[in-house]
Amino acid sequence: MTGWASLRAVLRLFRQDRRLLLGGGAALSAATVLAGVALLGLSGWFITATAIAGLSSAAALGFDVFQPSAGIRFLAILRTAARYGERLVTHDAALAVLAALRERLFRAYAAPNAARALLARPARLLFRLTADVDALDTLYLRLLVPAAAALATAAAVGIGLGLLDWQLGAALAAAVLVPGLGIPLWLARAAVRPARLRTAAAEALRARMVDLVAGQTDLALAGRLGAQRARIAGAEARLAEAEDALNRLEVRAGLLFGVVAALILSGALLAAAALAGSGAGLGAISAPQAALVVLVALAALEPFAALRRGALELGRTLIAARRLAPRLAAPPLPQARPAPPAGFALAIEGVTFRYDGAAAPLFRDLSLHLASGGRAALIGPSAAGKSTVLALLAGEAEPEAGRIRVARCGVLTQRTELFRDSLRGNLQLADPAADDTALWRALDRAGLGADVRALPAGLDAMLGEGGTGLSGGQARRLALARLLLRDAPLWLLDEPTEGLDRATAAALLTYINGQEPSVTILLATHLRREAALADRLFHLVDGRIVAEWRRGEAGYQAALDSLRPD
Amino acid sequence: MSQRADGLAAAAPALRRAGLLQTLAALLWVPQAALLALTVARLAEGGGLGQALPAAALILLAGLLRAALEAAGARLAFRAGRAALSSLRLAAAAALAARSPLDVARPPSGEAAAALGEQADAVLPYLVRYRPARQRAALVPPLLLLAVATQSWMAALILLVAAPLIPLFMALIGLRAQEASARQMLEIGGTNAFLLDRLRGLATIRAFDAVEVTATRLRAAAEALRARSMAVLRIAFLSSAVLELFAALGVAMLAVYIGFTLLGQIGFGAWGGGIGLAGGLFMLLLAPAFFEPLRDLAAAWHDRAAGEAALDALARLAGSGEQLLPGAGDDPSRGPPGGPSAGPPTVVVQGLAFAYPGAAQPVLDGFDLGVAAGERVALFGPSGGGKTTLLALVAGLAAPQAGTIAVGGEALTGGNAAALRTGMAWIGQRPHLFAGSLRANVLLGRDGLAPAAADAVLARLLPGRDRRRQVGEGGAGLSGGEALRLALARAAVDPRATLLLADEPTAHLDAQTAADVTAALLDVARGRTLIVATHDPLLAARLDRVVLIGGPR
Repeated sequence: MTGWASLRAVLRLFRQDRRLLLGGGAALSAATVLAGVALLGLSGWFITATAIAGLSSAAALGFDVFQPSAGIRFLAILRTAARYGERLVTHDAALAVLAALRERLFRAYAAPNAARALLARPARLLFRLTADVDALDTLYLRLLVPAAAALATAAAVGIGLGLLDWQLGAALAAAVLVPGLGIPLWLARAAVRPARLRTAAAEALRARMVDLVAGQTDLALAGRLGAQRARIAGAEARLAEAEDALNRLEVRAGLLFGVVAALILSGALLAAAALAGSGAGLGAISAPQAALVVLVALAALEPFAALRRGALELGRTLIAARRLAPRLAAPPLPQARPAPPAGFALAIEGVTFRYDGAAAPLFRDLSLHLASGGRAALIGPSAAGKSTVLALLAGEAEPEAGRIRVARCGVLTQRTELFRDSLRGNLQLADPAADDTALWRALDRAGLGADVRALPAGLDAMLGEGGTGLSGGQARRLALARLLLRDAPLWLLDEPTEGLDRATAAALLTYINGQEPSVTILLATHLRREAALADRLFHLVDGRIVAEWRRGEAGYQAALDSLRPD
Repeated sequence: MSQRADGLAAAAPALRRAGLLQTLAALLWVPQAALLALTVARLAEGGGLGQALPAAALILLAGLLRAALEAAGARLAFRAGRAALSSLRLAAAAALAARSPLDVARPPSGEAAAALGEQADAVLPYLVRYRPARQRAALVPPLLLLAVATQSWMAALILLVAAPLIPLFMALIGLRAQEASARQMLEIGGTNAFLLDRLRGLATIRAFDAVEVTATRLRAAAEALRARSMAVLRIAFLSSAVLELFAALGVAMLAVYIGFTLLGQIGFGAWGGGIGLAGGLFMLLLAPAFFEPLRDLAAAWHDRAAGEAALDALARLAGSGEQLLPGAGDDPSRGPPGGPSAGPPTVVVQGLAFAYPGAAQPVLDGFDLGVAAGERVALFGPSGGGKTTLLALVAGLAAPQAGTIAVGGEALTGGNAAALRTGMAWIGQRPHLFAGSLRANVLLGRDGLAPAAADAVLARLLPGRDRRRQVGEGGAGLSGGEALRLALARAAVDPRATLLLADEPTAHLDAQTAADVTAALLDVARGRTLIVATHDPLLAARLDRVVLIGGPR
């Protein structure tokens, strides 16, 4: 998608949500600027007119002072009110659009495989995602709103002064519009390259900082700490250089605006003098009108100067729009998996699966059945496909061929996935309707009830990012409690006690083993203590089930003994 | 805090000069306004184009000069501010490099990178926009007031009354907004974190059929944030609305006063001769410029809070930690790899004691250990028993509170830690992947190591992997076993590293991978001294000697 097409996709999102609010913000912004221009122009006219009227006492008595002075006060208050309204409305609208954008992105990534692809990407790209969302912020606040206000000003000034003299109006409108739009356009184009360099340098600085802190031991042993600091200094120097280039452009644009403003002011003064002509009252316009022309010309360019910031960031905004636009389309709905045949909890039949971009499929014609109430474990070396079997069953991955029929399942992923939310919120993920009684029951059954009761905030205790704030064992138990709430007849457990000390692991496995016999359990594991739970062992090597043992059969014990003992 | 003071002190004179240039530019408006006012007055008296020409030329000249001064000031401020930011960043990086990996208060890498990267960016607007704006606000309005007072003391009084009320009202409103916005600042970053947090756990969310619920919650959280933000902004924008109102009313009242004076309906406030048209217009033109610096300052006000927060975060990073890394300052010079090799070293530890700050008990207390040259020793014991700490102390990554460590007969001190480390290699339980290629990850930029040597080692330890493959922040990850093999390759490639220190190399690996890694470790350790911290009995059993450490107390 080209930059402009993606920008249109983003703008469509802007239009769908809160169209009135967005338009209102631009209108109020224009009203603010126009009231300011009119205030200055009217004041200049008023002073000049009163000065001329004040020359003769008869004219001074007949001069209507009240209408213009009331007008001046009205404009002063209008300007304030419009400005206040503009800032409220535009910020409200921008926040609303960003809220919608975040929801839209989340839904898009919730499509099967999208999340896996996202997580497989480097940390840098995940970090980039939020930076991109923020970059779109500038599109409305710094670009669309000021542009609307500036164009409205140019039109109003052109028409207003055109009523005095159409050539003067047209000339001033052109004098404001051409550089007023030309300078930001030039700036936007010129800033694209340094903005890209800036982004690259900022990412390099970030990566090198992470390397310094996270890789400090390796660097110290390699005698490269000083060198790493030099690399950080190098990235910082590149960043400074790119920012300096951007600042140079911004200042140059400001200088150009200053020069154009000076030209317009002196030009307007000359035009007013020429039109006012020689001899009072004989010219095309009067002296008070000449004052009005000069003062309006003085203020007319100012709103265009506000476009500078937005233009400077347009390059960054376009990059963000290009990256996010493909994600804004509505995602496909996930397909429900058919139910397994009677008496079975899952049936995998003739499944072929390959990872995106992989040359050879991981599974070819894989079949696996598990009866309801069965306890089975997938064992085998890393990368044999244990976790992928669970992902296929959970609907996280789609098979290329074959059929998967599976009962409603609950999943315990290899990495405990908890969220920055309250304990209650984390648990209710499994069952949004669960009341506190149900939550406490699940916590108690998972052996976490006492720990949570000891917390001052109880169920409302907040967890940090990724569930920080709990020990590894507590986090695993919380995930188990969540699984209990799910009330699913099939449990898919991926290395449920990995990284836990022996005592915690034993307690957790006892809870799992103590489930009602109707619950079917499929484990993926390389630990003996976990596999010992299973009545059936499937040995998976390179995507094929090479052996299968039942408890009591010859080989079952040997298979258990081949696993890690701790 | 001294780091913060140093970095900023260097920039201060240039920032002041920049503020002065911009002040001068703002003051150039005075002659421009005077010329405009005189010319319009001349027109009212029947003057024409001929009289306007010289004035227009002078106005143009002053305008050009003004734009140039403005630009010069902006560049000066930017260059000074940017240099200050660089020095602050590098000081923080140096301080982080100098903290021991055993320092528990050391910030995590993500946090450090964020504070040094995105957050530190806020320093720039603070220095470049807010500081000069503050200076202009202090200088320009009083001088313009003097210029107005030359025409009419009453007009100056009107502006004087309007201006001081502004900071008063802004302060009152600002106080209310400040507390609310401090809470707000914490939450604005929160919506991004919310999104990332949920994206990381998408597998679980999908497995629980909770996509719809989570999307709704995400939207609700964002909408709630919006509602709270708007509550804060409604107050915060009031302060600028007050400013606008007083500025607009100040201009309006001035215009009305001047108009009535010119009509002769008001007869006081001007000096002897009254106000002419020129004087009146002159004052009117100066009025908006009088309020302009105050508005600039108000606009830059939020730069201050973010900038000061960023400066504080940088200062925290630049503060020295409780545990320093001996020999972090300068990279040691290394002998050529083919130079005289002393062979594998002995390691002698005597009476070693180490306690983490704030811990009730020392993790090591009077510990002794002797390792012969070329010996392979397992430090065996439960986690938290001090195995990793002991390895780190041998590597000179922190200074012990008591006791001595001698490597190859040379006592380890802060002075020679970096030099002694050139003879060691570290194999951690989760080796860090540096942003770059696999080959660069093996070489780590150590001098005297040829890329060909790295390729040979990679072909042995990670066969089938493309050595140009990008890993780390900018690339993909490696599996646990592969990462360990990479760490082994780092050790294997450098023949000068004759003491291998391995920290739980087989934890988190399945049985087959653990066995492979053990074999590779023993292979690399041939002809070197090896100390392994482990609680893997299979690994320990394959070494020459097992030393129990940190048993039940």
